[in-house]
Amino acid sequence: MKRRRWLPSPRWALIVPPYAWMLLFFAVPFAIVLKISFAKTTLAMPPFTSLLDWSGQAPQIQIHLENYLRLFSDGLYAMAYLSSLKVAVVSTFLCLLIGYPMAYAIARMDPAARNVALMLVVLPSWTSFLIRIYAWIGILKNNGLLNNLLIGLGIIDEPLQILYSTTAVYIGIVYAYLPFMVLPLYANLVKLDLRLLEAASDLGAKPWKAFFQITLPLSRAGIIAGSMLVMIPVVGEFVIPEMLGSPDTLMIGRVLWQEFFNNRDWPAASAVAIVMLALLLIPIVIFHRAQAKALEAKLT
Amino acid sequence: MDSAPVSDAGKATGNGAASVRGDEAYVRITSIRKEFDGFVAVDDVSLDIRRGEIFALLGASGCGKSTLLRILAGLETPTRGIVELDGQLMNGLAPYDRPTNMMFQSYALFPHMTVEQNVAFGLKQEGLPRAEVARRVEEMLALVQMSKLARRKPHQLSGGQQQRVALARSLAKGPKLLLLDEPMGALDKKLRSQMQLELVNIIERLGVTCIMVTHDQEEAMTMAHRIAIMDVGKIRQLGTPDEIYEQPNSRFTAQFIGSVNLIEGKIGEDEKDHITILTPWLDSPIYVGHGVTGFEGMDVAFALRPEKIRIQRDEPQQACNKTRGVIEEIAYFGSHSVYHVRLPSQHKLLVNATNTRRWASENFTWKDEVWLYWGELSGVVLTA
Repeated sequence: MKRRRWLPSPRWALIVPPYAWMLLFFAVPFAIVLKISFAKTTLAMPPFTSLLDWSGQAPQIQIHLENYLRLFSDGLYAMAYLSSLKVAVVSTFLCLLIGYPMAYAIARMDPAARNVALMLVVLPSWTSFLIRIYAWIGILKNNGLLNNLLIGLGIIDEPLQILYSTTAVYIGIVYAYLPFMVLPLYANLVKLDLRLLEAASDLGAKPWKAFFQITLPLSRAGIIAGSMLVMIPVVGEFVIPEMLGSPDTLMIGRVLWQEFFNNRDWPAASAVAIVMLALLLIPIVIFHRAQAKALEAKLT
Repeated sequence: MDSAPVSDAGKATGNGAASVRGDEAYVRITSIRKEFDGFVAVDDVSLDIRRGEIFALLGASGCGKSTLLRILAGLETPTRGIVELDGQLMNGLAPYDRPTNMMFQSYALFPHMTVEQNVAFGLKQEGLPRAEVARRVEEMLALVQMSKLARRKPHQLSGGQQQRVALARSLAKGPKLLLLDEPMGALDKKLRSQMQLELVNIIERLGVTCIMVTHDQEEAMTMAHRIAIMDVGKIRQLGTPDEIYEQPNSRFTAQFIGSVNLIEGKIGEDEKDHITILTPWLDSPIYVGHGVTGFEGMDVAFALRPEKIRIQRDEPQQACNKTRGVIEEIAYFGSHSVYHVRLPSQHKLLVNATNTRRWASENFTWKDEVWLYWGELSGVVLTA
């Protein structure tokens, strides 16, 4: 049969939507933010100068790099980035520490129990994120659930000052992002060929040795996926530090908010966002490389 | 073989096992039973295996042979019974504490390790010095001719190469007992027959005692010194490959190994030096040239292998053990042909004829009237 050239081939119907999605909801907004980051603030609506200046004879492109220069010269921004990264790395590690045993246990349950356990992991997400974080205030505050329980049991005499501290931020972040660690790890661990562990045992490896030599290295892709899913959004997290953290909990998401809403400095806020994206891009690239490698290994 | 009186089937197995009992037993399995949720996988199996022996557990899937092997490896705990290896009690020892190593079905090579690392794995667990590990790995890879591919990952190897690595890995620690779970299961037919002999050569060169599990009777017959045929958790017959083939103890084993004509009948004359079997299959009684432990009128089956029957056009000289028939089907295998011959009684006999001359298969064709005959010691009288 002759190919009908006048009709687009049906495979376009599959290829176009994701690209259109990326273009519309990532590339275009990104270009706009990038454009704003090169502007200057003015008292106008919108509150930044245009990229093209029509005041002279011919239109001129005006690129202002001050915003970026300020990011690097003002120590506050560097501190905010670093502390965001630190919070992200530490809470990713905590999520991994708590999430790995959870995922491992779920993957070893019998299939019926597995579904229930997975359900329990996902179930909290059915409630609004804000409400769940707000609930932590009730738990952590001085006369909240936790302190009342500890005092009631006679473990402490005075309430612990947890709320509005960095500890509270970690608790909130680990709580909120744990499912993003557990699910990819579970998906990886459930596929592990148990005969490999039998073979390791048969060859003289005690269970914990078999875990570190077989299970852990083979779940690397799951660890990377889970860590990325936790770390990337945590770097830009705003709600949790705002609600649970102290005023000195410095995170880039809050700086961004302040620049945008309090200072009405859209160009500076945009520059902060662009640099944050660049910082996040590095781990994303590493993640993709690892995934491509794993896929390649499977195919060959 | 044929001259030996056919004793009671159950006793034959018992005697065979008993004769090995004693100092010779290197692996001693006593009354092993394994139940899974009320289902009996292994039903009171006792076995003795000699040092240096290659022993095959042969049976259809679900007969309990793999469970028995996993009990030996320590991967399953028996419901009751005792496993001893070289005089040492194995019960209660974890797999990693046992001097046994297993080659798993489809190998279970560690996918994230190279060939070298896979072979070194067991040695490293013992905390041997690095140089010693490297030396042993090199030796093992040379043994299975995989030295050149030492840096490859398992997924870069063919099935046959993976099998060699799996063998090297299970031999590296110098186990007292090597367990093979369907060793050829993942190989294609041609590679299989080549690897069977090579595997036997390697195992015999190292002198390691070996128990293998297989559902492939040819594999068991080629590789093993002795075979135990298992069915629903029990051992049905134990013996060397030729004993099992030529002296099956029951209708089950006769049919399980190779192909067989089972002619049902009753004992007619019951003398010390011969018996006759009256059967509706044939016009005249079958004459068997030895006595059996039985009685007149007892129900028996006469097991006659297709290759023990001769086929020709003219009536043979002998007075009995012959019948007329018509060729109904012919299966041509090249080296031999199998004829399905319909007897006047409407029963069917399978007959093998080796094609010793070129085009010998053209001697007979469909619908040919032929004579079949066999010797007085060619078949086995089965009472079970």
